[in-house]
Amino acid sequence: MATLRLLVLAAAFSWAANVSATEDPVIGYVKTVEGEALVLAADKATPAKPGLPLQIGNMLKTGKQGSMGVTLKDNTVMSLGPDTELVVEDYLYSPSKGDLKLDASMNKGSLNYVSGVIAKLKPEAISLKTPAGNIGIRGTHFLVTVEGKD
Amino acid sequence: MTLVLGLAGCAKNYVVLLPNDDGTTGKVVVEAREGVTLLEKGREGADIGGRVGKTFEVSDKQIAEDFGEALAASPEKPVSFLLYFKVGTDILTPASEADLPKVLAEIRRRPVPDISVIGHTDTMGDADVNARLSLMRAGSTAEMIGKLDPSVISADRISIESHGEKNLLVPTPDNTDEPRNRRVEITVR
Repeated sequence: MATLRLLVLAAAFSWAANVSATEDPVIGYVKTVEGEALVLAADKATPAKPGLPLQIGNMLKTGKQGSMGVTLKDNTVMSLGPDTELVVEDYLYSPSKGDLKLDASMNKGSLNYVSGVIAKLKPEAISLKTPAGNIGIRGTHFLVTVEGKD
Repeated sequence: MTLVLGLAGCAKNYVVLLPNDDGTTGKVVVEAREGVTLLEKGREGADIGGRVGKTFEVSDKQIAEDFGEALAASPEKPVSFLLYFKVGTDILTPASEADLPKVLAEIRRRPVPDISVIGHTDTMGDADVNARLSLMRAGSTAEMIGKLDPSVISADRISIESHGEKNLLVPTPDNTDEPRNRRVEITVR
């Protein structure tokens, strides 16, 4: 009986297996916004608002009076101060397969960063690039400020 | 060598390490061609592109000045819950079923929540069957949340994952009945 029930439920949830097997483009969400803040993709700029989904390649950009906070699926928490540009260049979060990666680059501004599961499982898989040099993260809470060149 | 950063108007390309909420402090390295600078103390900072190995202490006042807005914008930290199942099923134990309202309360408390529901099994039986069972556990838990309160979170904000027997909470040999491994982890962000 237990086996039968298992099979029936397995069939019922095979759609879920298919859904999770396809690539989920959402890597996280905007959670907080103050003032002017944008999420830029290759072809468009969207005013940031809480709940806006994020995808690989997005640039998070805040204005002179703006700030914004986001969370990613691995529980990474990042928040940007004013006049900041941060691009999520690459992101992989599939712990069951061991696919883990977070590449970000910060052109200017200020960033508060609290690492998530990727930093715990594979710290070398995280890199944060800045124009003056790169930062390696070993599971931690830190702040970065980068002077813009514009 | 530790100096107190007090120079106003100097180039601001620096990293500062902060303690974690649990009191521990992680590590950050600033990489350069010539080598790396390691930060491992709270409020220890280093210039990006500065001299290798040179660190300094950053005052709270300086942190507030340079990072006040970024820190104020920080979203709340994600919170995780563990729920446990009866052996070989996707039926919650009575104790875990009684915990569901706490999970719902946490979701409701957050302005724009998204959640992950990750299913796991113990090592009893076949790994493939367990991969399906853990998916069922995650799926039926997500369904139960929706049934208890359809308005608490929309389906597109729920991510369902399955780790089967590959991510044990309590390490055991194969074919071991371990109630603490028969679980879903719900993370509320």
